[in-house]
Amino acid sequence: MAEKRRRLKEAAAAVALGAALGAAPVQGADTARVAEAIRAELEALKSRIRELEKQLAEQRRVEQEVKDLRREVRSAAEWKSPNTLIHMAGYADVGYTDTRSRTGTFGSGTFNPILHYQYRDVVMLESELAMSVDELGETTTELEYLTIDWFANDYVTVVAGKFLSPLGWFRQNLHPSWINKLPSAPAGFGHDQAAPNAEVGVQVRGGVPVSGNGNRLIYAFYVGNGPAAEIESGEIEMIETPGLGGDADGKKVFGGRLGLYFPGRRLELGLSGAAGRVGEIEEVGKSRKYTGVTRDYDFLGADFTWRPRQFEVRGEWVRQKVGDQPASSAPEGGTWQAWYLQGSYRFMPHKWEVVARLGRYRTPHSEVEQKALGLNYIFASNFVAKLAYEFNDDRGAESSGYEDRLLLQASYGF
Amino acid sequence: MGKRTMAVLAGLAMGPALLMGHAGAVWAEYPPEGDFVRGARLWAENCGRCHNIRDPRELRDDQWITTVYHMRVRGGLTGQDVRDIYTFLKQSN
Ligand code: HEC
Repeated sequence: MAEKRRRLKEAAAAVALGAALGAAPVQGADTARVAEAIRAELEALKSRIRELEKQLAEQRRVEQEVKDLRREVRSAAEWKSPNTLIHMAGYADVGYTDTRSRTGTFGSGTFNPILHYQYRDVVMLESELAMSVDELGETTTELEYLTIDWFANDYVTVVAGKFLSPLGWFRQNLHPSWINKLPSAPAGFGHDQAAPNAEVGVQVRGGVPVSGNGNRLIYAFYVGNGPAAEIESGEIEMIETPGLGGDADGKKVFGGRLGLYFPGRRLELGLSGAAGRVGEIEEVGKSRKYTGVTRDYDFLGADFTWRPRQFEVRGEWVRQKVGDQPASSAPEGGTWQAWYLQGSYRFMPHKWEVVARLGRYRTPHSEVEQKALGLNYIFASNFVAKLAYEFNDDRGAESSGYEDRLLLQASYGF
Repeated sequence: MGKRTMAVLAGLAMGPALLMGHAGAVWAEYPPEGDFVRGARLWAENCGRCHNIRDPRELRDDQWITTVYHMRVRGGLTGQDVRDIYTFLKQSN
């Protein structure tokens, strides 16, 4: 039955087709043959269509894939060059110190993360935190610096906020432990000693080529709140330079550094100076207060770096002075002065480096002569292990607080 | 300082900033391409002045941008120096 119906259908289809083609109607066996041919042709067409459909789907799939890939590439490029860049850097160190009169202790050292945000080549936010753990297990966090740097043009950058003092060289450029070739700062170049640490204000800095052969003039000038003299029992205990977040004395300090760099000679020279008036901080009971008295302040510094072949020789002299003030409970001013000379040699292509440093630090209360010898293993340019011994000789009336000590440190700059 | 003088000074200071804002709106690539050869020389001359010289392969291109701008401020490099050094670094990492 089904077969019959199919035949009938084919015949009808053939007649219809024949009519459509304008051919004369055909009969019997002829009809079957034609129908057969047409059926075969139809089958061929069908399979061809199926094939085309498959190809089309494949093409669509490929197109979609290309589209997806394009999108992926675009979003990858987005990662590569957005208009705002975010970057984390910094350094951390750990160590061991064995001082003559005390048992050796492990130190957590510091963890100093640096966060950078940059909008194109227009502006950069620089910030660094300094975190450390003390003997009692307390973690302290300080804002080491926080500035907004506006790249005004090719030769001028305006830096505003809390910045490392541009005076001298060690504090701003060598103190991070992965850079410093010894585990300690030279005597007088630590916090609140002879070399100013930080400042809150505005700074204009940059460099200018002074000849075609790479020689350059480097400058940094600033105006800031200035330091404060810390008064204790009728004497100036120290000059505090943490970068004061206010200017209680209402008088600014102006200063800067001028440097010359001669790449051909591998020699860099710098002169720094600052002057102004500073306030006094005195401990009253448990709180620290400004006394309302101001005094003269000035700073002078000179530094050099010479790097012939695998040698590196650095030297720096700084002098910080607070003037007399009859109206103060500590009428007499004072001078904090320090210098160091450091030589190092890197055994290329090996990873060993030897360092020697000689220096002196004098305050109105004490004087110390320091010699330090060190051996470093440079795993990578930003990962260094250091072993050093510091000889400290007191030369003044009072103890400087420095003692001979063995220092071990591992530092990683990231 | 009179209020007028202050206004004039503020205007002078803001002028270049506004102009720069316009240039930024074009979304040109930044930093603009520098000179590779000069960059290689400046890198060798300047990037070891304060610390061990860092390998160009240590960082990605975008990380080098912030780093060289950071170092521009530290080391008194010019804008052109930084563009040249960055061109050297991004092609060497
Ligand atoms: C004037 C000294 C000086 C010069 C010149 C200098 N650096 Fe640095 N560099 C530093 C100091 C200091 C730090 C540590 C920053 C900190 O801890 O605040 C540093 C940090 C770095 C870091 C770690 C990441 C970061 O941004 O802190 C890299 C990478 C680096 N420098 C590469 C370079 C390159 C590349 C050059 C040459 C263009 C260069 N430095 C030139 C002083 C310098």
